[in-house]
Amino acid sequence: MNGRLRRVNAEPRWLRALLLGVGLGFLFFFLALPLLAVFVEAFAAGWTAYAGALNDPETRSAIGLTLLVALFVLPFNVVFGVAAAWAIAKFDFRGKSLLITLIDLPFAVSPVVVGLVFLLIFGAQGLFGPWLAAHDIKVVFALPGIIIVTLFITSPFVARELIPLMQAQGKEEEEAALSLGASAWQMFRRVTLPNIKWGLLYGVILANARAMGEFGAVSVVSGHIRGETNTLPLHVEILYNEYNAVGAFASASVLALLALVTLLAKTVVEWRMRRENSMLLADLPAEES
Amino acid sequence: MSIEIRGIGKRFGNFVALEDISLHIPTGELVALLGPSGCGKTTLLRIIAGMETADVGQVLFAGEEAAHVHARDRKVGFVFQHYALFRHMSVFENVAFGLRVKARKVRPAEAEIRSRVTALLKLVQLDWLADRYPSQLSGGQRQRIALARALAVEPRVLLLDEPFGALDTRVRKELRRWLRRLHDEMQISSVFVTHDQEEALEVADRVVVMNQGRIEQIGSPDEVYSSPATPFVYQFLGNVNVFHSRVHGAWAEVAAERPEGGPESAVTAFVRPHDIEIEHHPLTGGLEATVQEVHAIGPWVRVELAHASELIEVELTRERATILALAEGQLVWLKPRQLRVFAAPGKTMEEGGSGI
Repeated sequence: MNGRLRRVNAEPRWLRALLLGVGLGFLFFFLALPLLAVFVEAFAAGWTAYAGALNDPETRSAIGLTLLVALFVLPFNVVFGVAAAWAIAKFDFRGKSLLITLIDLPFAVSPVVVGLVFLLIFGAQGLFGPWLAAHDIKVVFALPGIIIVTLFITSPFVARELIPLMQAQGKEEEEAALSLGASAWQMFRRVTLPNIKWGLLYGVILANARAMGEFGAVSVVSGHIRGETNTLPLHVEILYNEYNAVGAFASASVLALLALVTLLAKTVVEWRMRRENSMLLADLPAEES
Repeated sequence: MSIEIRGIGKRFGNFVALEDISLHIPTGELVALLGPSGCGKTTLLRIIAGMETADVGQVLFAGEEAAHVHARDRKVGFVFQHYALFRHMSVFENVAFGLRVKARKVRPAEAEIRSRVTALLKLVQLDWLADRYPSQLSGGQRQRIALARALAVEPRVLLLDEPFGALDTRVRKELRRWLRRLHDEMQISSVFVTHDQEEALEVADRVVVMNQGRIEQIGSPDEVYSSPATPFVYQFLGNVNVFHSRVHGAWAEVAAERPEGGPESAVTAFVRPHDIEIEHHPLTGGLEATVQEVHAIGPWVRVELAHASELIEVELTRERATILALAEGQLVWLKPRQLRVFAAPGKTMEEGGSGI
């Protein structure tokens, strides 16, 4: 009886083994193995070589620049993302669908094209080029250019994460806060923000991962000036092209570590979000009193 | 505080949500806005609260124009159908919210906030839940917390949007009586929106029946039930007992009374199912009908009868049903004890008129 039930409910043993094998094999060859390879190559010449490669002034400058860019970009992402999601989720206005499409634009455009666009706008021959040159402001091939393209690339993450969340939560709690006499800021600070904090953090983590890892767009506007406008991903490529395998993989391992930390943070945040959601959706206990 | 509503109108695109609504709510009264969904009752409530703005018309609080008073300054307590409790705050903090957001100068001290919140939680009989979160409460408990939260800021007016709509029948009945008691204790004006006629009739001092953005009738529960002003009110306020037959002329004769205009003009007569008498012998002016089905529903026995092509519902007490001992297919005679006749609206009048 039991055996027959199992046969009805489950696939045959060989098929289960095959499907599991294919899945795990894919995970190993395409995800785990490359990650492992990065660290194996980075430590191929031993600890000291690894430490030496990371201690290289140009590498340190690349790491510093990457962190600096993220530091500039993330606050903007938070403000823009919350503002856009707020407007879209809680209000109806003309051009709302256009705004939603615009927010998705950076996802749809190739990063190299994004780089070129900003080159055309701020470059020497570009739209604002002469004016910028006349005022001695460097945008392209300098830090501002890198920050601008990274902003463009990462702008959708927070908004994308918050829009469905805020739409699902509706605006009744905000209205309740207003009817209780809260000011707009008090309403945002005490009601809206606590409700979206995990979603917001999740968006920031994704945006951060992209800001630190972005290659294409930054590559076009950075100018690859060593020790000045080289971000970590660009630096990895340069070292690799110079056959400095240890240096390249050591730098890559830093990026990989950042990715792992991001993943960990993301998992924790997702877990918290799920827990809060399940608390909200929990069945009502029986009526008491 | 009294509320005066003058000529309020509101459209959403092409949809007319409210048209020329005027209403006076004196201090201390509990008023029900009753109507089917989409009749504009919630929109009207939200306009009073300042969460929606009217296209035309005025709202006056205690005689003062409120158009430029922001929702947060109206001192209006609002209770939402789905509670809208702050999900990340404990029950205590939810109730304390209105006190905590007050400007520093008028904000009560922490000890005072504590004692006031505790007193409110006692009032709603849920002081033992102070540390719980909204997700840990049942629907009825959530709604009582929502009420306590609204009352914390000592509102001059309490507005409730389908407050018991999401609750099951037993809890709803209990909360209804509780709301009535609370209103009487607090001495404030309350307006609540409902689509449940039983709720409106039981709780309110006055019932405002709305339909398609207009007020159909304003009156005491007894008035709107026993002398409905329009066919709509008659049909809407029938509870499950509603019975409407569109018999022309003939019905008037059945009742041995002729409506104004006589049999030449078409009329629609309304009779409640419990206002019809069934007899086994022919009645003068009685209506012949065949018994189709007999159901016992709680204290009532509902009988469905066919007269020509029309279906007629009659409700009898159990005793009467036992005496009559009706069987399916039986021929009986009907006579309404009480009926109300309305002139049929435009189109039907012509059709009906030529038909008789």
